[in-house]
Amino acid sequence: MQRAGGSETEVTWEDQKNINKFGRLNNRFHELEDEIKIAKEANENIEDASNELILTDEEVVRFQIGEVFAHVPKDEVEMRIEKMQEETSKRLEKLEEEKESILAQMAELKKILYGKFKDSINLEED
Amino acid sequence: MAQPSSPPQSGSEAVAERRGIPAASFVKDVEAYLNQLGLDVNSTLSFLQERIQQYKVVEMKLLAQQRDLQAKIPDIEKCLDVVATLQAKNSDEALLTDFEVSEGIYARAQIKNADSVCLWLGANVMLEYSCEEATTLLQNNLENAKASLEVLVADLQFLRDQVNTTQVTIARVYNWDVHQRRVKQASSSQES
Repeated sequence: MQRAGGSETEVTWEDQKNINKFGRLNNRFHELEDEIKIAKEANENIEDASNELILTDEEVVRFQIGEVFAHVPKDEVEMRIEKMQEETSKRLEKLEEEKESILAQMAELKKILYGKFKDSINLEED
Repeated sequence: MAQPSSPPQSGSEAVAERRGIPAASFVKDVEAYLNQLGLDVNSTLSFLQERIQQYKVVEMKLLAQQRDLQAKIPDIEKCLDVVATLQAKNSDEALLTDFEVSEGIYARAQIKNADSVCLWLGANVMLEYSCEEATTLLQNNLENAKASLEVLVADLQFLRDQVNTTQVTIARVYNWDVHQRRVKQASSSQES
């Protein structure tokens, strides 16, 4: 049968699964970028707080716990801030790792899908 | 969502539906699909478009639920933090806190020997609990919220897959139609 222009590459269930997987990864990638931005901001805030703490000469610091500001001795505040710093930087690291892994998977899928469909498919951000 | 029943799956391992969301059946052969549906190309295309709209409506609802849960979880964590702090501070000296009375106005409170806290349960109901019970309750709520969020995220992923599949099907039906017209034109110009 003559192919009169326009690609007639058949889309198999495997291809559909790959396309869907790419879509999922892309969505997760954007979510991760937002989460990373928020985590970085939180990190900066904790940095600033920690610096302020060093500068202050008060013995009791008003530290926010929940919705209230509790009067907490400076040492305890230092410990709490350190713990928060650790948690946030660990979280940030995990997010960055996930982002790398997703980018790698997306590159793989792009190779496969462009390889089969060439121009009939567009996987770029507009 | 009331809608015409979708044609049978052509040999795929996908689920037929998930929590009330019907799956988009994968089309192996466009011509066979059109014959199964018994509709012409334009009706098929509008049927598929309608499906996508329905999916989008459900997506909006799920996204709103997701946002609510994502806001609720840090709130519960903050409450747990407060209860833990109250429990830890069991010495004789009162815990001094500054809390917001109104926007921009704070008042100082002395909290002595807090063995119990009151938890807001919603619907204008507040109950008093011992610190341990409160921690247990809040932990449970936190775990439930996290579990619900996970299920919700999986639902959203499933939904997006169905939208993708339907969009690809629309493209293929359209391409098939274009191809058919070209073939018909080519054969009719050959005859003349």
